[in-house]
Amino acid sequence: MSALTLTLRAAPQGRVDMSGVLPAALAGLSVAAIAALPLIMNGRPVALGELFDVAPGEANRLVICTATNCLDYLGKGMTAGTITVEGPAGHYTGQNLCGGKLVVRGHAGQFAASGMKGGLLHIVGNAGDWLGAALIGDRAGMAGGVVAVEGDVGDRAGDRMRRGLILVRGRAGDACATRLLAGTLVVAGGCGDQPGFGLRRGSLILGHAPATLPTTFNHAGVVDLPYLDLLRRHAAGILPGVVPALSRVRRYVGDLTCGGKGEILVAT
Amino acid sequence: MIHNGVLIDDTYAEAFGMKATRIIITADNLTWAKNAANAAFGFATSVIACGCEAGIERELAPDETPDGRPGVAGLLFAMSTKELAKQLERRIGQGVLTCPSTAVFAGCDSEEKLPLGKNLRYFGDGWQISKVIAGRRYWRIPVMDGEFLAEESTGLLRSVGGGNFLVLARSRCQALSACEAAVLAIAKVPGVITPFPGGVVRSGSKIGSKYKALPASTNDAFCPTLRGVTESELSPEVEAVLEIVIDGLSDADMHAAMKAGLEAICEIGAAGGIVRLSAGNYGGKLGQFHYRLREILA
Repeated sequence: MSALTLTLRAAPQGRVDMSGVLPAALAGLSVAAIAALPLIMNGRPVALGELFDVAPGEANRLVICTATNCLDYLGKGMTAGTITVEGPAGHYTGQNLCGGKLVVRGHAGQFAASGMKGGLLHIVGNAGDWLGAALIGDRAGMAGGVVAVEGDVGDRAGDRMRRGLILVRGRAGDACATRLLAGTLVVAGGCGDQPGFGLRRGSLILGHAPATLPTTFNHAGVVDLPYLDLLRRHAAGILPGVVPALSRVRRYVGDLTCGGKGEILVAT
Repeated sequence: MIHNGVLIDDTYAEAFGMKATRIIITADNLTWAKNAANAAFGFATSVIACGCEAGIERELAPDETPDGRPGVAGLLFAMSTKELAKQLERRIGQGVLTCPSTAVFAGCDSEEKLPLGKNLRYFGDGWQISKVIAGRRYWRIPVMDGEFLAEESTGLLRSVGGGNFLVLARSRCQALSACEAAVLAIAKVPGVITPFPGGVVRSGSKIGSKYKALPASTNDAFCPTLRGVTESELSPEVEAVLEIVIDGLSDADMHAAMKAGLEAICEIGAAGGIVRLSAGNYGGKLGQFHYRLREILA
């Protein structure tokens, strides 16, 4: 059986909140019932059928086809199943994701994976600023699961991240892993300025040495860390080649103003 | 029943339920993984005084271990969950944590867990780091050669301990040689260990003693030097008796191990000086698992 497919007809006249469009919510509904589901566009309700063509199929493998990045909150709170976004995603993609797999075959906007607790968010393109970061007013960002980004990510990736794993094949912007509480952020392509500022615990793993480091990090030398072997094996099934090939890495400890229990590891 | 000239007693090995776990020890090379395992599983021959029975189940190739390094799988057996947890923590703490380049992982899974690195992490004095990878928690404990990596917990398994058979031979060297062959055969069976030195025990015991403080004492019925003063089980041509004790993760594992060991002995047969095969049978008072020698060899 083919996948249930929602195809955006034309670029909407505003941003569309896709909350609630989830495999579990659509399972067992007729095409008419799905088309009648209310969405929010520019703060006003609009029927899903006014924006999308609905092709019936297996709801557990939902496909959303879009040519614009106006669809926000894709996969918000999903617990099971698969959503594949054929095209760019808007902001807050995978917010509060708890399980299942969300694939974006395009770029994603800001605050992707905020509040994520489980499952897998796979972004084939780039991700915007604040990937896996805490929302304004939240105490912590991403709290579990895995995010894999094949392209680059913007600034402040992993800000106040609490738990989980972010893998980035490309480059991160400035201030990645700032105020990181715990968890692991791997950036294979290097990063911008001041990574790890305010990092409390957790690991930032870089494929290339950063141009600058906060002065509140100390060099701990080159060390062999067996746990990287485990991480590499795990990551190889999601985004191979992202974790440094050798477990012998250069270690920086910090942020010393926050206890010094965090680390930045740079491939040797 | 006679197999290749060896008399098979109409008796059974009496085994009993135990709690067990499997752990995986890895290191930079197999030598150091075995050094750690030998330290951790040393002095773990009998629950009578060691707290647990333990041994190396098998060597593991790099592609069989969680971190891609050479390693060994080891099994530990104890009479209670509490004692198993205590022995596991002590032995990993003193034998593996201390050994250069090693890491330790769970080798089995179950709903009920035993702490592995969960308490050992405090050796890190606050510098220990937790990592959750693929849903499993590991502890990175800073040590002088880098980090000791330990999985937080391992599984708890219900198992069978105390499977055994006795090899009665015309001389000690013939008994030992036959037992060596049996231990090699048993080592090929997954899920079992032979916890005594080299897999063989010479001090088979009976329950109780004339001394009140001792729970077990020498099995005088099978001691050749006591023929004539005790009710001996030995015929005149038997000069030595050796025992092989087996612990297994399941009844089926134990059965397979008993069969492998007994067949190896029978293959040597009377031509190799083997006179008889028997087993430690306590009249059904010790355990609920009975392995009848004749049925196994039928």
